[in-house]
Amino acid sequence: MNPALRKLLRKGTPEPADIDALIAELEFPLVDGPDVTFVFRGAADEVNLRCWISGLDTAQPFQALPGTDLWATTIELPKGSRIEYKFEVIKNGTRELILDPLNEVIAHDPFGANSVCQGYGYVRPEWTLHDPQARAGSLQRLQVDSGIFKEPREIQVYLPATFRSNRRYPLLIVHDGIDYLRYADLKAVLDNLTHRLEIPSVITALIESPDRLKEYGGDDRHARFLVEDLLPFMNDAYPLLDAANARCLMGASFGGVAALHAAWRFPEQFGSLLLQSGSFAFSDIGRHNRGPVFDPVVRFMNEFREQPGIPADRIFMSCGMYESLIYENRSLVPHLQAKGVELRFEEARDAHNWENWRDRLRIGLSWLMPGPAWMVYE
Amino acid sequence: MNTEMPLRLLLGPQRPVVNLDSAVAQSGIGDGPIGVISAAWQEAEGDIDDVQRLLPNPLFDLRLYQRTEELFAADERLREAYRRRQDRLKEQQRLYSMRLKHLMVAARETLRIEGEPAVVAAERRHAISQLRALDRHHLAQVEKAHTRFDSVFNADSHKLLAEHTAAIEDELSRFETVLMTGGNVIVLMNRLRLFGLDRLLRHKSIIAWSAGAMVLCDRIVFFHDRLPQGRRDPEIVGLGMGLLPGIVLLPDAKGRLQAKDLVRIRLFSRRFAPASCMTLDNGSLLSYAGETLRDSEAAKRITRNGRFKRVRAA
Repeated sequence: MNPALRKLLRKGTPEPADIDALIAELEFPLVDGPDVTFVFRGAADEVNLRCWISGLDTAQPFQALPGTDLWATTIELPKGSRIEYKFEVIKNGTRELILDPLNEVIAHDPFGANSVCQGYGYVRPEWTLHDPQARAGSLQRLQVDSGIFKEPREIQVYLPATFRSNRRYPLLIVHDGIDYLRYADLKAVLDNLTHRLEIPSVITALIESPDRLKEYGGDDRHARFLVEDLLPFMNDAYPLLDAANARCLMGASFGGVAALHAAWRFPEQFGSLLLQSGSFAFSDIGRHNRGPVFDPVVRFMNEFREQPGIPADRIFMSCGMYESLIYENRSLVPHLQAKGVELRFEEARDAHNWENWRDRLRIGLSWLMPGPAWMVYE
Repeated sequence: MNTEMPLRLLLGPQRPVVNLDSAVAQSGIGDGPIGVISAAWQEAEGDIDDVQRLLPNPLFDLRLYQRTEELFAADERLREAYRRRQDRLKEQQRLYSMRLKHLMVAARETLRIEGEPAVVAAERRHAISQLRALDRHHLAQVEKAHTRFDSVFNADSHKLLAEHTAAIEDELSRFETVLMTGGNVIVLMNRLRLFGLDRLLRHKSIIAWSAGAMVLCDRIVFFHDRLPQGRRDPEIVGLGMGLLPGIVLLPDAKGRLQAKDLVRIRLFSRRFAPASCMTLDNGSLLSYAGETLRDSEAAKRITRNGRFKRVRAA
C-alpha cells in the first residue's frame, strides 16, 4: 500500500476530515517510484482501473479501504512511463467509465478524453508547450478538388512564421493533420522546433479523410490522391522544393499505413516517412484476428512484406511499448533495413495515443529534416 | 596609408552575458563610426538597436542580405544560378558527410585501440591523413562550385552587382572598423563572397562574434554534438576569408561539444592540425593585431591530447 494511505489507516478508521485533508494535500495518482496507486473516493460496489495497456490485465480491481469510502489499487510502472486510463465504477448493477476525479491531467482524442498517469521519470517535453519566444506560423484552410475522389477535400496548410514567397520550402504531409493539431499540439511543436532551428522552415499540409479506416488502410485511391491531386495542388500554390528528398509523409496508426502505402505505390515521390504506431498488421499464415477493418491493411502489409522495395530513403518509426502494435512495428524494422532504407526506430513507454505521438515528434522531425542549428552560431 | 596592423577582436555568443561593450572599450578603437554586417541574421538584418545601445560609436548596417534580395528580385538568371549552386553545394556536403562518417568511425577506433605502439601510431596517422585528404577534396569541390558561379556573376560582368559592390565599397570607405554579428554562417559567407568583401575588409579593423568570427578564418568548420537527432561529426563547409589563417574557431563550444569525450576531442584537434582549434564561449575574447594574438579572455585551445587549455598571448 502507498505510504500515505498506510499512514492514514494506521490509527484505525480515519475521520472524513482526515481523508479530505489527505486528498487536498496529495497529487493523484500517487506515484512512489515505480509503484503507482490510483485512488477513488465514493460509494460503489466495485471499481476497476481500465487502461488498455498491452501486457496488463484489461481491468485492474480496486480494493475498498476498510472504514472509509476510499478505493485503491497499485500497479508497477517502469521509469519514464505514461499511461492513459479511466475508472470503471459499478454501482447497483450499473457500469460507468469515468475520468479520475482526483487527477486534473487529461488527454483528449477523437473519442473523448482520458486521465493521464505520468509515471516517475516522465516529464512532458517543454518543446510541446507554447513558447512565447517562438514566432507563430499561420494556418490556412483550403480545398483541393480531387479528381480521384470526385469531390473537394478540405485541408489546412501550416506556413512557418518566416515564410517568404521567394524562398523554396520542403513539404510535410500529415495524415489526420487536424487531429495532430488538436490532440498532439502539432502547431506549437512546429513553431518551437522551427524557432529553435531544429527543423527547417517547412510547409505542412494537414489532410484528413471522411472515411479514414477505409481510405488509410492501403487504398490505392488515397495514394493517387496524394500524388495526383495534392502534390500538384501544393506545387501550384506554394514555393516548394522540387525533389523527393524535400517531401515527407507522416501519419500515426492507420495514417502510418496510408503513408507507407502511398510511398510504396509511388516510389521516388517521397524521400522520407515519419510513421508513428503504424497499424502494420500482417499474417504469416491463416487469418489475422484484428477484425474486418484490418482486412485491406493485412492484404497490403503481406504484399509489402513480400516485396517492400524502397518506399523512401529515410524512415523514422516510433511505437509505444504498451500497445499491441509494437510487435508489428518491431518486425518491420529489419525488413526495411535489409533493403537499404536508412531507418531510425524509437520505442516509448507509452501506448497508442496522441500524446505518445506528440512526444516523439522532435526526434522524428529533426532526424528526417535537420534544421539549421548546425550552421547557426549566434 | 595606415601601416598599423588591423585589429581583429573576436568574441563568443553575446548571450546570456554581453562583453561586446567592454571589449570595444578596452580595444582602443575610439568612437568613430562603425560599419555593421548583420547579414547572418537574414530577415532580421539591420535590427541593431540593441547593439547600438552598447556602443558609443554610430553604427551603420551595410545591408548585404537586403542587397542580395534586391539582386535576386531584379535578375532571375542570377537568382536561378545562385539556387543551382546552393543545390550543388548541398549535394556535395551530403556526399562528403556520408563518406566522412565512415572515416571518422575508423579514425576514432584507431585512437581508442591499444596495441603495439609503433603499429598503432602508424595506423592512427594514416587514418587521420585519410580524413584530411577527404577534407581537402571536399574543399576543392566546394571551391569549384563557387568559382564556376563567380566566373559568370562578378562585378566586372554584371552591371547591377557592380553597382552594389561599388556602393558597399563607397560606404565602407567611411569606416575604419567593421562589426560582424553572429548568425547563419553560410548566409553570411555567401554574401561576403558575392560582394567581394574579403578584399575590402582585409585592411579594416574587425569586431566579430560567433559566426562573424568564424568567417575570418581560412577554413570554416561546423560542429555540434548536441543536436536533438544526435551528434554530427565536424564538417568543413568551405573557405573563410582567410584573415586569420591557422585557427579554427569554435563558438559556444561548451554548449555544442561533448568535452568529456576525449577521443572525439582529440580527433578534432589532430584532424585540423596544424591549425589551432580555439573555443569562443559566452564571455570569451581573442584580440589579434593582424595575425598576432595580443590578448585573450576565457578562450581555450584544444591540445593534441584532447584537453582544453587557456589561450595565452605570447
